[in-house]
Amino acid sequence: MAYQLYRNTTLGNSLQESLDELIQSQQITPQLALQVLLQFDKAINTALANRVRNRVNFRGSLNTYRFCDNVWTFVLNDVEFREVTDLVKVDKVKIVACDGKNTGSNAAE
Amino acid sequence: MASSANSNIVPKLYRSVMEDVINEVRELFLDEGVDEQVLMELKTLWESKLMQSKAVDGFHTEEQQVLNAQQQQQAQQAQLTQAQSQTQQMLLPPAQQAPQQQVIVQDPKILQHMSATGMSAAATAATLALPTGVTPFQQLITPQGQILQVVRAANGAQYIIQPQQQMVLQQQVLPQMQAGGVQAPVIQQVLTPIQGGLSQQTGVIIQPQQIVLTGNKVQQNTQVMQAAAMAVQQAQGAAQIQAQAQAQPPQQQTQQQQASQQQQPPMMLQVDGAGDTSSEEDEEEEDEYDEDEDEDKEKDGGEDGQVEEEPLNSGDDVSDEEDQELFDTENVVVCQYDKIHRSKNKWKFHLKDGIMNLNGRDYVFSKAIGDAEW
Repeated sequence: MAYQLYRNTTLGNSLQESLDELIQSQQITPQLALQVLLQFDKAINTALANRVRNRVNFRGSLNTYRFCDNVWTFVLNDVEFREVTDLVKVDKVKIVACDGKNTGSNAAE
Repeated sequence: MASSANSNIVPKLYRSVMEDVINEVRELFLDEGVDEQVLMELKTLWESKLMQSKAVDGFHTEEQQVLNAQQQQQAQQAQLTQAQSQTQQMLLPPAQQAPQQQVIVQDPKILQHMSATGMSAAATAATLALPTGVTPFQQLITPQGQILQVVRAANGAQYIIQPQQQMVLQQQVLPQMQAGGVQAPVIQQVLTPIQGGLSQQTGVIIQPQQIVLTGNKVQQNTQVMQAAAMAVQQAQGAAQIQAQAQAQPPQQQTQQQQASQQQQPPMMLQVDGAGDTSSEEDEEEEDEYDEDEDEDKEKDGGEDGQVEEEPLNSGDDVSDEEDQELFDTENVVVCQYDKIHRSKNKWKFHLKDGIMNLNGRDYVFSKAIGDAEW
């Protein structure tokens, strides 16, 4: 199963909200919504792996780090994200990273 | 431009993911016996939320089509308004004045107006069915049996989708119903006089991202009404929920909201005031307690160390998180790690396949390398 990691993104959240609305109006069942989300997980994982080909660098100061259940969570401060064309600065960013070597484990986001 | 590369990738990526998901779940929907309409609704909702988030410069192809349709309709409107209709007249009193008047339909009032206007087209009488309360989506059934769908665009512009001039059935107008995942609660109806029996032009500008064209044959009013009714019901149901769930101030601002708009924005996180949603009771108590303690301390002249301890302890809490909760965008990167390395307090990150939301915008990467000091 693919990581459910990407459900907490703009794309994933908007999908979940939409599904919730349909459930509210009883147009779909929660079970069906879950199936849709699982399908979304597959699709986004595949798309990211295959359709994206760019690189980003970043630098900042590490505020906190956590490693639990093979999931790293970092909070960085004063970070600069650099792409070839791009520079984005943020005061604070949270990075949640699942193990990239083993996609068999189904880690919740 | 700084974000040109990424901002080109993201919309397309999201589009392709959406298409993939929708296509894949179509079977699931059918297996469950759920109508295709619901699937379309899901897609519409999904897209509209993406639009609202402004995290992506998304433009759905259908939306582009809509924009094209809008332009066409506007052009046609100008023509129609000049040649006023004879028998078929779909007029809103305010709309009669100008070719492209956007009358903000506010539920019952306008409906009454609609029904009161001299609709003498070949079709049957118009009935406006507006969902009570939230009415993102309105279905107008003209006296002539034409079903018009009032669509609320995302930008708060609501338009009645009226049939474009295409097919002419004797003295009937072909309504082109466009039921879209309407968002904006306010409906702006642009109606223009209908030319005698043939063409019905409406300055219907449809901005909702998706518009489902349901071709209706005016000849068979019952069929039309049935089909439209089904579509409308579903859309209404979803739209109602949509509207309820949507607390979009921008949309509301752009629309005249008066009586009809009984929507209330969904519960927003309110940190102060009467409708405070966060639990500040404890903090308030602490503050009061501290103040009391301070006063007592001053009065008593600081008898014991105990009196001094409370104020001291209260300052131990780090209020960082509270400030950050208020912050609109929590910048988040969701990804996978290839390698995380640390040397003393120097950390190196090797990440991959990530989606970032920074300063409200979305970015993606296939690889990311970072350094940080702890």
